[in-house]
Amino acid sequence: MSHVSTRMTSGVSRRRFLERAGLAGIAVATMGSLPRRAFGQAPAFLKGARLAILQGTYFIAPAQDLYKREAQEWAKAVGATVTTDFLNWPDLQPKIAAAVQAGGVDIVELWPSWNWLYRDSLVDLTELAEEVGRKGGGYQAYVLNSARVSGRYLGIPSGQSNGSMAYRISSFKEAGVAGAEDGRKLDMTWEQYFALAKQLKAKGRPFGQALGHSTGDPPSFCYPYMWSHGAMEVDRDGKTVLFNKPEFVDAMKRFIQAWKDGYDETGTSWDDSNNNRAYLSGQISSTFNGSSIYFAAKKDKPDIAQDTHHMLIPKGPAGRFYWLGSRTFAILKSSKQVDAAKEYLRWWFGEKYDEWWRLQEGYHLPHVVKYDTDALWEKDPKMAPFKDQPKYGRDLGYAGPPNEKASLAYSKYIVVDTLARAVQGGSAEAAVKWGADQLQRIYG
Amino acid sequence: MSVPRALSSTVGTTSSDARMRRRRAGLLEREASLGVLLMVPGALLLMVFMAYPFFLGIWLSLTDSMIGRMGRFVGLRNFVDLLGDDIFLQTTKNTFVYAMVTVPFKATLGLGLALVLNRAIRFSNGIRAAVMMPWIVPTALSTLGWFMIFDPVFSPISWLLRHLGLATRNVNFLGDPVLAISSVCLANIWRGIPFFGIIILAGLQAVPNELHEAAAIDGATTWQRFRHVTVPAIKGVVLIATLLSIIWTFADFQLIYVLTKGGPANQTHIFGTYAYQIGLAATEIGTGATIALYMFPILAFFAVLLLLYLRRED
Repeated sequence: MSHVSTRMTSGVSRRRFLERAGLAGIAVATMGSLPRRAFGQAPAFLKGARLAILQGTYFIAPAQDLYKREAQEWAKAVGATVTTDFLNWPDLQPKIAAAVQAGGVDIVELWPSWNWLYRDSLVDLTELAEEVGRKGGGYQAYVLNSARVSGRYLGIPSGQSNGSMAYRISSFKEAGVAGAEDGRKLDMTWEQYFALAKQLKAKGRPFGQALGHSTGDPPSFCYPYMWSHGAMEVDRDGKTVLFNKPEFVDAMKRFIQAWKDGYDETGTSWDDSNNNRAYLSGQISSTFNGSSIYFAAKKDKPDIAQDTHHMLIPKGPAGRFYWLGSRTFAILKSSKQVDAAKEYLRWWFGEKYDEWWRLQEGYHLPHVVKYDTDALWEKDPKMAPFKDQPKYGRDLGYAGPPNEKASLAYSKYIVVDTLARAVQGGSAEAAVKWGADQLQRIYG
Repeated sequence: MSVPRALSSTVGTTSSDARMRRRRAGLLEREASLGVLLMVPGALLLMVFMAYPFFLGIWLSLTDSMIGRMGRFVGLRNFVDLLGDDIFLQTTKNTFVYAMVTVPFKATLGLGLALVLNRAIRFSNGIRAAVMMPWIVPTALSTLGWFMIFDPVFSPISWLLRHLGLATRNVNFLGDPVLAISSVCLANIWRGIPFFGIIILAGLQAVPNELHEAAAIDGATTWQRFRHVTVPAIKGVVLIATLLSIIWTFADFQLIYVLTKGGPANQTHIFGTYAYQIGLAATEIGTGATIALYMFPILAFFAVLLLLYLRRED
């Protein structure tokens, strides 16, 4: 066969043709497998799977939208159907309880200590959770202290929304607080904070604190106040109630006085959103809240955002504390799509968590240590104080485990109601005794 | 002569069909069997949606069950334990206050409303439909309106009072113990008035006008006509409406849940909300069922009163 005869009529040599065909084949194969590669070799069992996900509503709305889009992205790529529902925080737990009993939901977002409550109804995700932790350089200490049930992970830890003291820079300056323009420099005791409240209430700008039956801000303020004055629900043995302590009674007396002198007294009925609105309307000059206030202000009230900073929660004689336990994404045993749910969580934590976390610009405290040194914390100095929050984190039921008893005390708002009763009734002794009796009924 | 097989079969089928039809007709003709037949769907629904949950609730109340974990039989321990629970005792007190304060107001104001609506006024049909709105609108939705009215920060009432110089700060409607229970009672009264109004209006319209005319001719004053003609005529419907209202108010849930979730410091918890909090939020479904069952004797008492009255009327 002559050399010429090896040429095809189009003028392309056989070798060239084979090269091109080979490249084209590789290209087609590569393009065809793109979604599979991006979605981690989507197994066949995902096609047609139907997942229902239940979460608490987001205070940073764009992050909720992003989560929905991400879920749909996964669903589209693997040929599954995913529905995402977002409930008000106080409604989330009853809905999960109903799902545990009746089914219909596959993945649920659990608040700290709920893993204990539903432990018999949750799929063991230890292997996957440890993989997620390993990839992130290990879990944060507060996650390790809160997310496991008897050493097992019954959900993948996702971190927790932040919370600390938001304040108006101008008001603090006016009250003579040195370094008010930079919350990172403020390191107050409760006495100092209450004294400021008194000073500013006299000028018509009181502090505000939610003490109603709501699951976020009221316990996030009340538990740390208790811990920082040496009291706790229960000792390490999980039985001995350590609530009615003289130093805590004294602290309660100071709080009663501070409430009259420095706070907006309608706070006894506030829920997680009332203090946001009060702050954004200029009615109060400081409150315990997530940075969602600041985010909302940046969007709608730039002058208030400009005048807002955050500082660490005040400290008491026993130290500085935050109530901080990790939320987890768990799979209900009643789910008919356990494997698909695991694949979804593996994908989301592996591929999407980072984007979701960054969008919230520090509102959501991360679950793993690799984010400790992330440049995001340098982006906005007003968010920097939250970076240190995990260092002071304790979970419900401390010094005991965050188990179902701790959860029952939390669900009955015992610590919150102790403070609410104190400011309503005026007797610190009676309120603390009431709280101790209630805790004794649970832990005794 | 033998009957051909096919024909024999047809005849046999026909006669058997006829027998079936007769039997069916007989079943439908007899009052007793027809009654049973008509009752079956309702009875099935009641068994599935009322009796089963009720008996399940009784069983749960005798166990230490948690959500997702069937517990052990503990006898009456949950019932006894609750008697030592301050929050439960507060809840019981709140429930009685809530029901016993609101129902007389609802009945009295509903009567007044009915008397007004009974008069020949323009657009009376439209007005009657409009006053039913609080009763018709879903409770959770209408309560959100009250939630805004009682808002600790943006309450229009507080705003008005401050601008009129009658208050120096916002009214703590849902945060002060006395104001909180008063506020939820007020919302409940608002919601319940139309029910009384329309029921009593129906009773009023059944009173023959001749009776009023005869009394007027005999020289009876307006008050005497109301006292001796109207009241006896509507006594029955008022009583029935009152008993029903007591039962519904005792078993209320939505209004309190939307407004206060039982706060502040449990000052507005009623049986329904506390049972929900303990049974579903705290997942102690056994104790939650026990709290709900404490309502049962109270509701049963009023239900029996209602049935006795209706039977006497019959």
